[in-house]
Amino acid sequence: MEKEQLAINVKFMGDLRALLQRRTLTVTLPQGSTVGDLFASLSGNYGEPFASRVFTHSGALQHYILVFLNGQNIKDVGGLAAGLGAGEVEIVMLPMFEGG
Amino acid sequence: MASKWIPTACGMCYVGCGVRVLVEDGVVVKIEGDPNNPQNQGVMCAKGKSGIMNLYNPHRIKVPLKRTNPKKGMYEDPGWQEISWDEALDTIAAKLDAIRDEPQKLYVQAWEITGDCFYWSIAFGSAFGTPHLMGNASATCGKVIHPVEFFSGGGFHQQPDLHYCKYAILVGTQFGLGARGAFNHITMDMADARARGMKVVSVDPVASHAGSKANEWIPIRPGTDTAFALSMLHVLLNELGLYDVNFLKHKTNAPYLTGPDGRYRREPGSNKPLIYDAADKQIKPYDDPTLRDPAITGGGEGGRPTFELLKEHVAKYPPEKTEEITTIPAATLRRIAREFGEAANIGGTITIDGVTLPFRPVCVDWAKGPQGHAHGFHQSWPLKLLNIVMGAVNVPGGILSTAAAGKRPHRWWPEGGTDGMLEEGGHILPLPHPKAFPGRTPTKPFRIDLAELFPLAPHFHTLLPITAQQKERFGLSYGVEMLFHMPTNSLIGSFGDIKLVESFYQSIPFIAGFGVEINETNLFDDIVLPFPSYLERADFVSGTNLLMPHCGKDDWLWQIRQPVVEPAPGLRQPQEVLMELADRVGILGDFYRLLNHTFRLKDAYALQPGQRYSINEVIDRMTRCWFGDEHDLAWFNEHGVIRIPKDVDEAYIGPFLDARLPIYLEHFLQRGDELQGVVSQMGLDWDLSDYKPLSEWMPCPSYDAIKKGQYDLIAVHYKLPYVYGSFGNDNPWINEICERTPMAYNVLVNEDVAKAKGISDGEEVWLESPATKVRVTAKLTQCIHPQVVGVAGHFGHWSPGMPIAQGKGINFNQLLPTDLEHIDKISTALDHCVEVRLYK
Repeated sequence: MEKEQLAINVKFMGDLRALLQRRTLTVTLPQGSTVGDLFASLSGNYGEPFASRVFTHSGALQHYILVFLNGQNIKDVGGLAAGLGAGEVEIVMLPMFEGG
Repeated sequence: MASKWIPTACGMCYVGCGVRVLVEDGVVVKIEGDPNNPQNQGVMCAKGKSGIMNLYNPHRIKVPLKRTNPKKGMYEDPGWQEISWDEALDTIAAKLDAIRDEPQKLYVQAWEITGDCFYWSIAFGSAFGTPHLMGNASATCGKVIHPVEFFSGGGFHQQPDLHYCKYAILVGTQFGLGARGAFNHITMDMADARARGMKVVSVDPVASHAGSKANEWIPIRPGTDTAFALSMLHVLLNELGLYDVNFLKHKTNAPYLTGPDGRYRREPGSNKPLIYDAADKQIKPYDDPTLRDPAITGGGEGGRPTFELLKEHVAKYPPEKTEEITTIPAATLRRIAREFGEAANIGGTITIDGVTLPFRPVCVDWAKGPQGHAHGFHQSWPLKLLNIVMGAVNVPGGILSTAAAGKRPHRWWPEGGTDGMLEEGGHILPLPHPKAFPGRTPTKPFRIDLAELFPLAPHFHTLLPITAQQKERFGLSYGVEMLFHMPTNSLIGSFGDIKLVESFYQSIPFIAGFGVEINETNLFDDIVLPFPSYLERADFVSGTNLLMPHCGKDDWLWQIRQPVVEPAPGLRQPQEVLMELADRVGILGDFYRLLNHTFRLKDAYALQPGQRYSINEVIDRMTRCWFGDEHDLAWFNEHGVIRIPKDVDEAYIGPFLDARLPIYLEHFLQRGDELQGVVSQMGLDWDLSDYKPLSEWMPCPSYDAIKKGQYDLIAVHYKLPYVYGSFGNDNPWINEICERTPMAYNVLVNEDVAKAKGISDGEEVWLESPATKVRVTAKLTQCIHPQVVGVAGHFGHWSPGMPIAQGKGINFNQLLPTDLEHIDKISTALDHCVEVRLYK
């Protein structure tokens, strides 16, 4: 039996808004999907320009990628393994802070 | 008469000293240092004392202005017309709306580090969606120190531990003597350290404030710091055998085994770097719990330890060879290396507050000077290595990483990561730190500053004037359509060749930004928004105590800035202006999301979408969220500062850090290979020889130009303690100091060299670089390297809006050729040593 589908509203901020030329996106994933599954789906859609900026060489999120799941930083709710539900995912690519 | 002392934070430079301001009948009459504030312990500098004259500067702008002359240029009169705030913000919002679907066309110059605006404007730009956010001011400073420090120390910057250091070598910096963070605190610590016998050696082309106070000034040819550092390493490692074996074995990648290709030997499956354990003669992963005696020398079929490669590599730089490069006599370098190595007290310990720690009372400190070169990364990195091989990092007496770790009011701490190396830097705000390890994947650029082609750099703005001229060459299909800037004078301070910079600014269709007075950047504005004086402002972050505080066990602090007088009619707080703009362009909720993250605002304290706040309401939430409801805005307005004691492990994090530091940059090989693939695909013929794990000395273009005889001198820039950017240049008191000191408005020339050219002291002459030629006044001195011309401060203003500063001194940056040959391929630093001729 096919898994029930989940519509996830994604909002992009920072560099990603310009890079992907969009502010929001609705992604449909099977129930039980995780934030990691969402990123895999986005990497599939947007290819190397997205993946090369978002992931480290070892496959972790770059330190400048910030993800909020219904307003909560995913670092506090399980990281990429955090389960998706109804609501919104905000993905932010921040600049590294500088100085000098 | 109503009279009141009000605590606040100075804003005459980035430091942010604690001050008390005497206000009588609504007029500021006196500013003093706050003795209760650890940032400066009651002491002030000339800049701070003169702040009252900035507040009452009759040339300040106090209402929004719009340009009526569409023609833009360095000497074009903008034809300013006063307008209402509504018209100004409507105009800016309309321009933002027009590029809403292409947010990359917005370029934000965010540098305003005396208060909140740096963080607020970064959040604003990110909420809008542009990647083009410039978070620094200089074309060199910070390009290398921050990424290096985060992967080799854990924090934002570095400082000698003046409480315990016995031997400090300052290379291209005037630490504690003429510049740097927490200046008034470290200046007193420096005086105490010198009084108890700490030796200071200044290695610098110019004997300015640091060189003149040092025990020894060693003039060095500009752009040869790599050769100096590698030669010092050679003497220490190969001639004297002085290095901290235990530290190198257990706290660095010195024992990591490498293959013939220079890459780590790795365990199949786990991919972990391997180490040879001399205790049981087994090869193991770096984190094997049975590892007891990691070998840092020798090597067999399993590979060679990186330390072995380093020792062999630096042997190519004996002092006799580097003397020809640096002009430092071989005997002097050997003596300095020996003194440094012997003072390091390798193996010694010290007990502080009952905690026994390694005691290494030596350090090499460096800052702006070594970074500003065509190979700036490798001019700087081996200087840090000198501290690492002595085990003098984040331990008493050595080099300390600023604000790297803390426990109050939040916990932040650097962490290890890839290959067991220090990877995650520590910072009190949860923002991504400048990170050069392990770096990013290079890819075809989308950004017009080519950030994707500099996978180890955090700064990129030096590329903009170059790419604006050659979009097609880099496959770019767009340019900057709108620039929004803070009041920093980037036009003359953030780039090089002024004609190229003028052309870049002319290419931007719409420019709006803040201004205190009409400076050279504002001359290109379409809309100018008035920016309040620091004595009229409210800020939660009030300087750089969160980035570059004093190190060691002295109390840390948090202070806020409050207005001590009512802002002049027509002025608005800049944070409120940004909230208003965000609301007008429909990004207020996103802006709040990023502000809440930046300032750790949670739960009831978080800014709520749909709500509007005054800056006082925002700061009140911040102070209560961080320090408890009892420490609200009213508490801070009364007390000014909260003191935060530090534990030993916060002050000296080295022994408590669960990560190794690098002596060998293995990841440079992989990033270099990846980048080579991308630039080749793009048809770019870039020399990527900087992507190597061990530094080589590579000459700057100026070095070669001198050798060829095209020019005979090299111009360098140095700092003055009474000048920071353009902040005080139109201040009559600062001007008076500059007029009464010989170096500020004049250029320094070696006396013997000048006389050979027939140039007299005080004579007007031409100073010509490949970029431009300017009229200067020569000041003859013995306190400068004979091949060098020294240019101080940040002068050379021409804006009629700065009548006191207009026409005084010169702007150094205009002399700098600005092209890819002069950009460091690792850090994007613009080469700041330039070949020149000096003639009548």
